[in-house]
Amino acid sequence: MGKSMLGRSVPGNSILHRTDARIKFVAAILMMVATLSIHDVRVMALFVVWTVLLMAVSRIRPGIILRSVRPIVVIILFAVILHLLTVEGHVLFQLGAVKITQEGLLSGLMTALRLTLMIINTSLLLTLTTTPLAVADALESLLSPLRCLKFPVHEFAMMMSIALRFVPTLMDEAVKIMKAQSSRGANYDTGGLLKRAGGLVSILVPLFVSSFRRADDLAIAMDARCYRGEQGRTRLYASRLTAGDLLFFAVVVLLLVFVLVSRQLLPSLGSLLGSTLSVF
Amino acid sequence: MIEFQNVSFSYGAMQGQRPIEAVRQLSFSIEKGSHVALIGRNGSGKSTIARLMNGLLLPDEGLVMVDGKLTADDDSIYEIRRQCGMVFQNPDNQIIGTTVRDDVAFGPSNLGLPAEEIMRRVDESLAMTGLLDLKERPPHELSGGQKQKLAIASVLAMRPDCIILDEATAMLDPVARRDVMALVGKLKRQHGITIVQITHHMEEALTADYVHVISEGGIAFGGTPASVFDQVDRIKSEGLSVPAHLEIARLIAARTGVDYDREEIISFEGAVRFVRGVIAKYAAGPINACVCKPRFDKSQPAVIEVTDLSYAYPTAGGPPVEALHAVSMTVRQGEILGIAGHTGSGKSTLIQHLNGLIPAHKGHVVVLGRDLSEKKEVRQIRPQVGLLFQYPEDQLFEETVALDIAFAPKQQKRSPKEVERAVLRAARRLGIESILDRSPFELSGGQRRRVAIAGVLAAEPAIVILDEPAAGLDPAGRDDLFKDLLTLSDEGATLIIVSHDMEMMTRYADRILVLNEGEVAGIGMPSQIIASAQFLDQAHLDMPAPKRFLDALADEYKDLDTSCFNVMDAVTALLTAKRRVHHG
Repeated sequence: MGKSMLGRSVPGNSILHRTDARIKFVAAILMMVATLSIHDVRVMALFVVWTVLLMAVSRIRPGIILRSVRPIVVIILFAVILHLLTVEGHVLFQLGAVKITQEGLLSGLMTALRLTLMIINTSLLLTLTTTPLAVADALESLLSPLRCLKFPVHEFAMMMSIALRFVPTLMDEAVKIMKAQSSRGANYDTGGLLKRAGGLVSILVPLFVSSFRRADDLAIAMDARCYRGEQGRTRLYASRLTAGDLLFFAVVVLLLVFVLVSRQLLPSLGSLLGSTLSVF
Repeated sequence: MIEFQNVSFSYGAMQGQRPIEAVRQLSFSIEKGSHVALIGRNGSGKSTIARLMNGLLLPDEGLVMVDGKLTADDDSIYEIRRQCGMVFQNPDNQIIGTTVRDDVAFGPSNLGLPAEEIMRRVDESLAMTGLLDLKERPPHELSGGQKQKLAIASVLAMRPDCIILDEATAMLDPVARRDVMALVGKLKRQHGITIVQITHHMEEALTADYVHVISEGGIAFGGTPASVFDQVDRIKSEGLSVPAHLEIARLIAARTGVDYDREEIISFEGAVRFVRGVIAKYAAGPINACVCKPRFDKSQPAVIEVTDLSYAYPTAGGPPVEALHAVSMTVRQGEILGIAGHTGSGKSTLIQHLNGLIPAHKGHVVVLGRDLSEKKEVRQIRPQVGLLFQYPEDQLFEETVALDIAFAPKQQKRSPKEVERAVLRAARRLGIESILDRSPFELSGGQRRRVAIAGVLAAEPAIVILDEPAAGLDPAGRDDLFKDLLTLSDEGATLIIVSHDMEMMTRYADRILVLNEGEVAGIGMPSQIIASAQFLDQAHLDMPAPKRFLDALADEYKDLDTSCFNVMDAVTALLTAKRRVHHG
């Protein structure tokens, strides 16, 4: 599970893969705001079309893209149920104190769609079509104004990319240590909270120790390959923006503006759902 | 290429601790374009010497020069590191990039090369190492051998003159090891790259132009492989070993009084040729002394019964990957069972079923009469089955060695007195009773390995399963550890040893089970398992050298029993078996 989520880009050479990582990074943030701000069914329909288009352009199998929604399915379900049960309005059917209303159903569905679209958009733009190193490079470039404030931008970006690189390695390591301690009689499934927390020590200490050792090894390996921080280093993915990049960015900005303006101009469900936005 | 002048180096000198001397008054040089091997015990200072070569460490005294540039000179340090690339032991801890491509690009980007040039070099290095197809893959999807080749590719992208391999093959299986060594040989021949290789595998040192034996931070002796490995007593007193074919040839020469040419017998083929010549002139003695006593006792009760066990790993999204298919086996009380197989053959999955870490979904696992498909039985069986994973020293966590060893018996809710007794017994067996009060984190790797093993034995399990217990140890360390472990079997415990080292398995196991692609390819006594070279080859396992040697000479004999596992037996067989009479 963990392996499928973090730091997992799908190789490809689609337009989306080739789009500048900085553009995709900012676009992902803008799309996050935009999708969460949708409150009109028609606008939602437009965004569904946009998302499907984006999926098609990425040339990644839909199954892989949809898998990125899996980790938050529980949250989505919870939100839908909350809406179903709490939104007042035209009652569709009733069971004791539980009332399902037409408005509740609709706003529940809207919330589910909002969250789903948000995840698909951000993961398509960031994790799936952009390698973590490209993301880190983009971040470094975007944060570079902070250099004036003495913020260690390069180090921060390098840290991120190494962290991403080692997530799967450390996951495997944690599983291995847990199994080793289980073989020595440790029991992580039963016992009170305190006992279980105590049991964690036997996993966390070895995991920390080995992480430090790995960090040590890695630092030496980086030294051996002439790493000396930012000084004189080529940034591989910091290419110049193309017209295509800018066009893509313009479309994303337009979409965001459209959503925000539509909130003012299309007050159909808005008054009702505006409150639900605050939940997320 | 590289020159050491009177170099000394101590660890801890800076932090104000008592310094530990690692390199002492060392002077030597390495010629451009040569292949130099450094061999020596764990902790002899080999890695320190390697790190002094490219300025990762700087000498306390003396000078280290690369192509006339001082490593202590700040202006040339990066040029030196570019020139002398380094590949380390642990494949995981030296890959920086999140994809193969990014990792290869890391070095050249540090050199500040233009992006197009970097991409060109990435492709070039990946092509040289045969990894071009894996360019976009994340490193954790690669095999150990591929990861080490990636580390080499990453070094190549900086266009080095020299590659330093610091036990780079130690964590690989034999097939991957040969693969990496073949690549290294090619780089030397075709591109004139100097190779400095630190290794515990003596066969690898044989292919070098020059061998230095390192001891206590200095060079004990050195020379061509032929001259170094000719000094058998010195090699052994340094805790190292001599490749089997060399030893057989030398022993035959000594027994028959025939002179040998040490350059000739350095290669396996040369040694066979030499022995063939000797036995042609030598009169055969009494028949067949090579008796391999079967120790396996069929009448003992079964302690483990696996029937028709299959297992498939779930994968993210894709179809499950089958790791075991219809595996059946019986392990009898007191026997030493070897489980052999290449990386990914299902060894690790199989042993995890034996103490219920992986529940048996398809098929049955019965251990000491308990069916492990039931959860409550698993809890009962855990203390009875000690399972030790590869590199078990990673699981230590307590403040002292004694506390760590006590972890398992404490989980069994034994009285403090009993726990103490169990700890002492386990510590004594592994010869670590003098370090019980120390912190496990300040010990050497070999000592920590022993502590971890004691931590499993302290539960006093009836069955002990060890996955590659000797990985990464020097030859003498390997033998010592096995001797200590074999005392368990003498006392009635059942031992299961997982390894791809066939030479060790044939020497110690009563029976060997060979796994290949998740299926049992064969199970039987060592002599049966190694009878067919083709069988081992299909399972990607190595034929033990003594047997390979005898096989090469079998045509000289009427009926040579080639199933010998050690050098002495092989020599006796060669000198005493009935020979075919050659006419003309």
